[in-house]
Amino acid sequence: MSAATPTAQRTMPPTGANHATGWRARIGRGVALPLALLALWQALGMASHNVRMPVPTRVVAAAIELVRSGDLPMALVQSLSRVFAGFAVAAAVAIPLGLAMGSVRSIERNVDPVVESFRPIAAIAILPLAILWLGTGTAAAVLIVAYAAFFPIVINTVAGAREISPTLLRAAATMGLPRVRIIRTVVVPAAMPSIGVGLRIAMGVAWTAIVAAELAVGAKAGGGGSGGIGQMMFIFYAYSIELNRIIVCMIAVGLVALVLDRLLRGGMRLLMPWAGP
Amino acid sequence: MDAAKLRLAHVGKRFQSGSAAATVAVDDFTLDVAQGEFLVIVGPSGCGKTTVLNMLAGLERPSSGTVSLDGREIVGPGPARGVMFQDYALFPWHTVRGNVGFGLRHGPPGYGLSSESRARRVRDCIELVGLNGAEDKYPHQLSGGMRQRVALARLMANEPEVLLMDEPLAALDAQTRLILQDELLRIWGQDSPASVRRTVVFITHAIDEAVFLADRIAVMTTNPGRLKALIDVPLPRPRNDATRASAEFQALSQHIWSLIRDEAYRATVT
Repeated sequence: MSAATPTAQRTMPPTGANHATGWRARIGRGVALPLALLALWQALGMASHNVRMPVPTRVVAAAIELVRSGDLPMALVQSLSRVFAGFAVAAAVAIPLGLAMGSVRSIERNVDPVVESFRPIAAIAILPLAILWLGTGTAAAVLIVAYAAFFPIVINTVAGAREISPTLLRAAATMGLPRVRIIRTVVVPAAMPSIGVGLRIAMGVAWTAIVAAELAVGAKAGGGGSGGIGQMMFIFYAYSIELNRIIVCMIAVGLVALVLDRLLRGGMRLLMPWAGP
Repeated sequence: MDAAKLRLAHVGKRFQSGSAAATVAVDDFTLDVAQGEFLVIVGPSGCGKTTVLNMLAGLERPSSGTVSLDGREIVGPGPARGVMFQDYALFPWHTVRGNVGFGLRHGPPGYGLSSESRARRVRDCIELVGLNGAEDKYPHQLSGGMRQRVALARLMANEPEVLLMDEPLAALDAQTRLILQDELLRIWGQDSPASVRRTVVFITHAIDEAVFLADRIAVMTTNPGRLKALIDVPLPRPRNDATRASAEFQALSQHIWSLIRDEAYRATVT
């Protein structure tokens, strides 16, 4: 909720006809296709007569079971803590580096080729190294998340620092501020909206990375205690072929990521009231 | 004895882009600005007037000649020379109060001041430009005229010795412009004795604006940017709407227009 939104925006009372069709129009627009797809899925699944075939009703039953047993919340908490740890490491490295690259030409010239040549290497591709160096536990997963989240943050931070209006820098200089001070008082706040975009993208990327990492670490460890949502999915796949439960895990990841994104967005709006809605 | 506050001595500025021949933006520009003088530089677009101002601000270094303040060469930007920019240059993440107090909070203008005296000066400057009640607004919530008032308040809050203004009113509509011209003269202190006024160098391409504001007008010519004429404006102060209506005002405007008309015309067809 934005506090700045004027409450007296609707000057015209809604007419009766609009009111009556309002909910129908909303459903028609937003929910019709998803519902139709779910129905189609259910119908096809039931027609196949395969007991392993996942269908919506069985997925819901599996979800209830996994939540009740505490397995799903536990796995999510474990994955979440790794996502946060990796995300924090990535932000702590990428934001200062990006600001330096965006403000000092020679740093950018040196660092950019390194960053850009690592960027196409998928996070999952460094998994063998991560496992060899850090084992199959949390540290390896955090490293992979940090690696994946690093790139969107650094690239957006560089863009934000570089796109600052030059007159803002000049204005600060003509007030006598030393260069180091200008970075803190002008470059950082001016780059903040871009950094925010980078953080949001990175949060999504961190989730894809954690699931992949845990899946793969699970494969290596053959179960074990490293846990997390990805490994839970791997166990359901490798030992019992529980497709319904795997789908529950997929949906859970999607929902958690959505909530995190909304929280990040809300936090940024609070931090940056000037940036508009 | 050296009475000049600001001095430009045989200043030249060339811009080199790639392997092409250098562009001469400013050529052999010599001008003294006296303490407390309101000097306006007027000329067609592209005549290098902004380059001259940037060299006074220390944002650009001359390729030849020297620029000095009180006899000391200007080698970089500094708080003694405050600048007002055409696009306001307000910090979008600060409120009006934060923008006006920016230099006091982060820069040398605030060194040695208690936080109460900083706050008082910010309040005074906001009042000076008539923005009471808008202290907590962000720049994007303000009109162009209000933004430029904020920029003026910020400039005054830092108490620079010299005010450098780069077409500060050019982006405003005609009515807002006239009002801010009056305000500018009031804030500069046209009712006070000349000895307490600050030195101003003001850039514009609007001739009527130049005549209304200036003690003296430097007319520049383009390609390369040179000083074409220096014209005294003997109109009495305080100036107001009656000044704009006077025959002397019209005659001076006409005279300056005749000096730059040909070049201004050429600039529209090439």
